[in-house]
Amino acid sequence: MEPNFKWLWAAFSVAWAMHVGYVTFLSGRTRELERQVRDLRAQLDQASRTAGNSGD
Amino acid sequence: MATVAREAVPKWLAGLTGASLLAAMYLIFLWVPMEATMGPVQRIFYLHVPSAAVAFAAFFIGGGAAIGFLAKREHRMDDLSVACNEVGLLFACVNLVTGCLWAKPIWGVYWAWDARLTSMLLLALIYMAYLILRQSIEEPSQRAAVCAVVSIFGMVDVPIVYMANRWWRTQHPAPVLGGEGSLDPRMTFVLFFTIASLGLLFWCLVRQRRRLEALRRAAHAVRRQVQALA
Repeated sequence: MEPNFKWLWAAFSVAWAMHVGYVTFLSGRTRELERQVRDLRAQLDQASRTAGNSGD
Repeated sequence: MATVAREAVPKWLAGLTGASLLAAMYLIFLWVPMEATMGPVQRIFYLHVPSAAVAFAAFFIGGGAAIGFLAKREHRMDDLSVACNEVGLLFACVNLVTGCLWAKPIWGVYWAWDARLTSMLLLALIYMAYLILRQSIEEPSQRAAVCAVVSIFGMVDVPIVYMANRWWRTQHPAPVLGGEGSLDPRMTFVLFFTIASLGLLFWCLVRQRRRLEALRRAAHAVRRQVQALA
């Protein structure tokens, strides 16, 4: 094996690890926000129903 | 109430990006001829230079979108700006890291404080500061306006980084595109192919990041409605 092959391997490994890490971060954060929005909308529906009932 | 698209990256775009990245890896490792002086480590060039090209393009689009936000006050422009700037920062970091890993076997050191390397590091630091600033401002319109100014400032720095090894004497190699250097046509082809592949990857990441920002704003809007009703 050429002596500087390890630098080539290291560069590509680190670069792809950074991309994979970022994609993982984005997916995790997106799922978390989707859940938050769903929960908040459910809370909003509940709050509007309660406000509607108390107005009757 | 704000609506957010269900799918950020269409399947055809994800498939095309994956296929083109695999093709780029094949071309880099198996097809392009070995450079005579540096040997296999020169192949880092095919990731290092396209990462810089994509980062520069990202910062320009991000800066343009920031100008668009300041002119029209449309939040989708701010979404595009933050997405391009954050993904651009990722590519800038890849450029810096691959540069260090190329420099060690060729120069004997990971880093040299020359104009090109230092200006690229400063550019990355500007966008890190941009992202930290975004986290520190809660109100969306104020956050978008303040960050738009930083984004435009970062965009102005891009030509300085690009021209650094033309304006000043640097240890960084001379530019191969639009400079004095010349490349084998197969090397030029692989370089441009990888720029296109990473460009597709950039666009997928930007679409995903824009969706995240739209979700964040939607969450903020619904939370305010809930608080108003409580």
